[in-house]
Amino acid sequence: MPWAGPLALVTIWEIAARLGLIPPHLLPAPTTVLGTAIGLAVEGTLLTDLLVSLSRAAIGFFIGGSVGFALGTAVGFSRLAEAVLDRSIQMLRSIPFVASLPLVIVWFGVAEAEKIFVVSLAVMFPIYINTTLGIRQVDPKLLELGRVSGLDTAETIRRIVLPGALPSILTGIRYALAVAWLALVVAETVGASSGIGFLALDAREFLRTDVIIVTIVIYAVIGVLADGIARWLERRLLAWHPNYAGGRRK
Amino acid sequence: MTVQTAVLPKLAVNVVGLSKAFGERVVLKNLRMRIARGEFVALLGESGCGKTTLLRALAGLEPVDGGHIEAPRLPAIVFQEPRLLPWEPLWRNVSLGLPAPDARDRAVAALTEVGLTGRFDDWPLKLSGGQAHRVALARALVKEPELLLLDEPFAAVDALTRIKMHVLVKTLVARHRPGVLLVTHDVDEAIVLADRILIMSGGVIDRDYLVADYPERRVLRRLLLADLGVLLTDEA
Ligand SMILES: Nc1ncnc2c1ncn2[C@@H]1O[C@H](COP(=O)(O)OP(=O)(O)O)[C@@H](O)[C@H]1O
Ligand SMILES: [Mg+2]
Repeated sequence: MPWAGPLALVTIWEIAARLGLIPPHLLPAPTTVLGTAIGLAVEGTLLTDLLVSLSRAAIGFFIGGSVGFALGTAVGFSRLAEAVLDRSIQMLRSIPFVASLPLVIVWFGVAEAEKIFVVSLAVMFPIYINTTLGIRQVDPKLLELGRVSGLDTAETIRRIVLPGALPSILTGIRYALAVAWLALVVAETVGASSGIGFLALDAREFLRTDVIIVTIVIYAVIGVLADGIARWLERRLLAWHPNYAGGRRK
Repeated sequence: MTVQTAVLPKLAVNVVGLSKAFGERVVLKNLRMRIARGEFVALLGESGCGKTTLLRALAGLEPVDGGHIEAPRLPAIVFQEPRLLPWEPLWRNVSLGLPAPDARDRAVAALTEVGLTGRFDDWPLKLSGGQAHRVALARALVKEPELLLLDEPFAAVDALTRIKMHVLVKTLVARHRPGVLLVTHDVDEAIVLADRILIMSGGVIDRDYLVADYPERRVLRRLLLADLGVLLTDEA
């Protein structure tokens, strides 16, 4: 039932395009777009481009996520690390990553490193902030319980601190997945020789509206899938939490 | 301050000259207290008189300014709130801090004792308040501690559950025989459960009643309430 709306919309779009109510160079019919997609997949480079984009996102996410988690853990646990690091990280965070793009391009050119760097940078901050926050928010009463139960430091971290911080960390991951994708779109459309963004850029040169729409749809689908992965992680890892168990969120 | 893990032969707790202040506010003033092994002691006193501070000091959770505490190194504590780890199933909660091999068996046995048969793998957030308190009690008892510290553990549960918990605590304590210090604000609870009742006031143990000395409970009840500033007329 929730799909009825979008379906109707696409049908109207199709009919309007077929009747010539919408000029095809502005918005081709959905079936044309689908045909283009299939054509690109079979004869063109769509699948390779998709793979290239996905692996950039994945590598960037992994690097940015690891750095963000490491920094977040350090600052969450240690007042000293906080004093040394937090202010600088917060200052860097206030720069919109798009604004840093020209500088990044000067550093790395428009090569792979540039895209991965931008994605990593975008991912790092939400993971950092939510990890720090999660660790800070661990209930001190539970830490005290760990102490009177005779837990050592490693056990306290494993059984109390990390699980306690996990809901917040997962929120960070969910947000990071969304910005990773956003950052990649921006980085790829600035300059690339492969990837979905390159495909879109190339299509613009030749006014191929149908190809541009294919790339937009792909970005949307992957965005939805990424969110699905984040929700799935939450359901699995937070099964103990009534708000997440059974797939319902508050 | 000295904290010794060795305990005098027949004492579970021996406290001498204990002092503690929070800034200007003196909470424990040269306090002295003993609990024999297997003895059930209830501690009554006005709210804010320092009962929790004393109990936490016994558990090593509260640094003190001076004095001498002899108590087992890791006593079992039941706090006012259950303090369960919501991300661990019940049996893991109960076995927290137990050495590994038969931890699950012991946890299961303890949960059975407190009447939670068949819920061993449930998540804590699925429990009612009374059930969560029973898990906390199971977690304390599974360690078979020499000393059990209870800080108003039944204050938050409904009256009916509280009576059930009283019976439960009495049976379980009778079986394991730890020394017990129960902080409560409920005079009747103290009389039902304890061998000895202490009144805390002005940072010291002010009164000390052996329950067995008062075959007439009403008499003891009246004395305790008077100590706490409640004067009853004859018919009450
Ligand atoms: N961590 C603390 N910092 C400052 N004051 C405290 C702290 N803990 C307790 N107090 C004060 O010490 C007094 C005794 O507290 P507490 O032992 O909790 O009393 P009780 O358990 O008898 O109600 C109270 O006045 C309380 O405000
Ligand atoms: Mg208290």
